[in-house]
Amino acid sequence: MEKTVFVKLRHRVQVKPEAVVTIGDVAQIIANDLNIAEQLKAVPLYKIQPSDKNIVIIDVMKVVRAMTERDDALDVQVIGPAQTIVEVVEQKRRFSTAYFLLIWLLLFVGSAMAIMNFHEDVSMQEVHQHLYEMITGKKIAKPLLLQIPYSLGLGIGMILFFNHVFRKRINEEPSPLEVEMFNYQQSLDQYVILYENKESMRKIDDD
Amino acid sequence: MTTIEMLTVIFIGFAGGLAVGTGFVAFLVVLGIIPRLTQLTKTTERIHAYEWSAVAGAVAGGWMSLRHTVFYISKYWLIPLGLLHGVFIGMLAAALTEVLNVWPILAKRIGVADKIVILLMAIAFGKIVGSLFHWIYFADYLR
Repeated sequence: MEKTVFVKLRHRVQVKPEAVVTIGDVAQIIANDLNIAEQLKAVPLYKIQPSDKNIVIIDVMKVVRAMTERDDALDVQVIGPAQTIVEVVEQKRRFSTAYFLLIWLLLFVGSAMAIMNFHEDVSMQEVHQHLYEMITGKKIAKPLLLQIPYSLGLGIGMILFFNHVFRKRINEEPSPLEVEMFNYQQSLDQYVILYENKESMRKIDDD
Repeated sequence: MTTIEMLTVIFIGFAGGLAVGTGFVAFLVVLGIIPRLTQLTKTTERIHAYEWSAVAGAVAGGWMSLRHTVFYISKYWLIPLGLLHGVFIGMLAAALTEVLNVWPILAKRIGVADKIVILLMAIAFGKIVGSLFHWIYFADYLR
């Protein structure tokens, strides 16, 4: 009983290329005997190969095997996720300002064109002329008094939706953008957990 | 107009309105603007009042555009009207880009996750400038 070890894998860890991944990198470990925990944390699990590219999945079984090989009297209790996603991060590439400006301009011009096409598509000019007539009883070709506040409102509405003005002032709930990024990352993680982990699927011709 | 004809016309009009109304509600629900607004203002318990405001707005707009109602009031009422109109369309546009999952993919592929706010500003300013350009210059050019 005194050799019980609790293991909880981390969800996602980042390592450098060619690094040796140890148990301590991918898992939290609790043991009654602190020495055992420290020793186990230093046990190497896997050396990152250049052929691994960006993602390596470490299955919990690999961790348990490495532990029991070291000391077969251990009682390993696994808690939490069944695998860890190891992300191989190369040197953070610096992002050039010109490149960023290009993307900025692309989005800027693109969204300007998109809104113009949208206005034409729904004949908004006519709708605004009707609206002007509805309120004042007069017909004019360019109801700018309506259209300029409308244009400013467009930007305000978008920013409001993504909650960047009131970021932490109104509340601390994540913005839709943050939730969307989280969902996307979650789907990607699930995909790599299934398809990059050789242990999780078995085909007929595998032996 | 015979009674039968009248009933048929009423039935067709009602059916058409029902279809368009359900479609409109479905559209609002998919884009999730009302929940987003309640979340921003922390007024979740009033959500039914917001539902009614959307319904009342749709009915009033439908009636006024079909009957060509004219108010004969000051043109300066158009300023707040235009602003609210713009905020609503802006939220629609934001919800659309979000629903299409443009942002996460953009952030992952180009690797600009930490600068996404600036890119968001690019889109928002693009909308403002594009819209102003459209009304001030482009509208003349089209005619």
